[in-house]
Amino acid sequence: MLEVDSLHKRYGDVVALDGCSFRVRRGQLLGFLGPNGSGKTTTMRSVFSLVRPESGMVRWDGKQIETAARLRFGYMPEQRGLYPRMKVAPQLVYFARLHGMEKAAARDAANRWLDRLGLADRATSRLEQLSHGNQQRIQLAAALIHDPDLLILDEPFSGLDPIGVEDMMKILVERAERGAAVVFSSHQLDLVEDLCEDVVIIAAGKVVLAGPIRELRARSSHRYLEIEIATSGSDLGHAFPQYEIVHSADGRIRLRVDDDTPLEPLIHIAAGLGKVRQFAYAPPNLSEVFREVVGQ
Amino acid sequence: MSTFHSIMLVASRDFKERISSRAFQMSTGITLLFVAGWIIIPAIFINNEPETWKIGIIGTEPAGLTSAIETASGHNAVVETVPYDSRDAAETAMETGDVQMAIDSSGSVLIDNDTGDQMQAAVITGLATIQISQRADELGIEITEITDLLTGGYQIESVTPPGTADTESNRVFAFFVTVILFMSIVTYGSWILIGVIEEKTNRVVEVVLGTLRPHHLLAGKVLGIGILGIAQILSIGVIALILLPLQDAFSVPSAAGSVLVWAFVWYVLGFAFYAVAYAAAGSLVSRQEEAQNAAFPLTMMLMAAYFIATFSITGENPVLMIASLLPMFAPMTMPLRIAGGDAATWELVLSLSLMVVSIYGLVRLAGRVYAGGLLQGAGRVKWREAFRASET
Repeated sequence: MLEVDSLHKRYGDVVALDGCSFRVRRGQLLGFLGPNGSGKTTTMRSVFSLVRPESGMVRWDGKQIETAARLRFGYMPEQRGLYPRMKVAPQLVYFARLHGMEKAAARDAANRWLDRLGLADRATSRLEQLSHGNQQRIQLAAALIHDPDLLILDEPFSGLDPIGVEDMMKILVERAERGAAVVFSSHQLDLVEDLCEDVVIIAAGKVVLAGPIRELRARSSHRYLEIEIATSGSDLGHAFPQYEIVHSADGRIRLRVDDDTPLEPLIHIAAGLGKVRQFAYAPPNLSEVFREVVGQ
Repeated sequence: MSTFHSIMLVASRDFKERISSRAFQMSTGITLLFVAGWIIIPAIFINNEPETWKIGIIGTEPAGLTSAIETASGHNAVVETVPYDSRDAAETAMETGDVQMAIDSSGSVLIDNDTGDQMQAAVITGLATIQISQRADELGIEITEITDLLTGGYQIESVTPPGTADTESNRVFAFFVTVILFMSIVTYGSWILIGVIEEKTNRVVEVVLGTLRPHHLLAGKVLGIGILGIAQILSIGVIALILLPLQDAFSVPSAAGSVLVWAFVWYVLGFAFYAVAYAAAGSLVSRQEEAQNAAFPLTMMLMAAYFIATFSITGENPVLMIASLLPMFAPMTMPLRIAGGDAATWELVLSLSLMVVSIYGLVRLAGRVYAGGLLQGAGRVKWREAFRASET
């Protein structure tokens, strides 16, 4: 269990963390969300002691994190970084050994990962000779090579093509299933919603919302109404003047209402417009929850 | 993972990556070729074989003439004599260049414009020696009595124990080591500087620092590049030692053992001090273009130390004395004082203690600056800011 406990950190006049707290269990896949500059990277760096908070603490299994425990963590920073001129296999071996693996085990692990990523034939290439996508794969392998107990990834999906995204998702799910605690940040919220059950949303250095996505959505004081009228190809916006329109086009409209808004008048209006093809009432999706809590 | 393992892991990566880089192999190869050429080419063109002097003899050749002339030449020449029937024949031979001079036993020595001064002097001295020993024999005097007479009976005795070099050549040797230290720091210091900036620019340092302490990364880097540097210098030294005997005039500088040991100790300490400082300087900037700016204060300090050493090669002076106690100057100035026999034991102890303490302090301080500097994003970080940014 990783416990981030009321971290405070400021850079000059800028407050980066203002009492940030959350927990991640082993086997849990946690989406760590927040707008740019909200303190995600600073929090992640605190776990690796790359940043020293002024107050607060990060604990692993109830204890302050010592070097030995940290070696069992894997980290993929937002700004990717490996040695461009170093060959791929020796590079992975080096990172494995930095995490305390013996030479032979490190070599085995490097070969296994290169096989799995389909890059076995590039083992002796210099990193800079690989395509951007393949360099990203090696970066992931460098973070996973020692089978970490805790995996922290800062924006792992940025810059990946759809196939790369899918690979990355599979690997993260598999790590969590194998019992690792996995924390990743992302701005692709639809993807987060597909991938994990739990999220933490941070804004201005503070956690503003945390929990299972389903609960967070249900807990929202808003509901969304999606209406589609088959016979009408026009803008339906004029038909719902007293309601908040999220978007409206081509006979489809999305409305935002309070969770206690009676639906009957809406059903009535919709029925009057033509043949109703869809009338869906649902809590906000993750993006909408996000926008609600960070005020954007 | 222990501290030692972390440091060695970093050191061996830096060592291996550089030694297998083409740039390193090329520069080492070119340096070795240059050194080899510098030794071999003069050996080919400068002929140290003794000259052959051909001397014509008219009449009878005095007994022991060739050996007397060879001795008088300081054994720089081999003498061959050619008999001639007449003075005319000898003169013709001198004109055609068959012989360079001629001795007429009737009492004259024939020379021309081509006769060298050295040869002329050696022949006259040789003839005189033969004459003197003949006369001495006739008078019943031992030749040694005559030598005693010429030297006033005094013997020259050296009080320096055999095998010990004088302070002068010790100083020259110490200065030579200082020059090597200076060049090593300039070369390998800039490798360390660039290596640190590269890691920072690549952002790889963020992953690496997640697994080990900044001062371990720093120590490993300095060690890896330091060992590589010393290996490169040693390989140049070995090549030089193998090839130098080709030059007949070669003599190994015969510095006293303790001077040699001290020179090595100060070399290692000096290298460590400056290498660590360069690493810290590198962590303050994020682009290669800024490297020289960051290292400027260090370069100035290094130049100052070098100039103090250069101006003090002739002997002790107050500037040298003070400089030899300060860690940033001591590695280049203290060996000179030790070589000259000018350093008191307390000075040595004080200087060494300050040096070791400051290297340790610098590793810790630089580790902090390193951690603070490395994680600051763009631009140049001030020493103080970097120091405050991290409390490692």
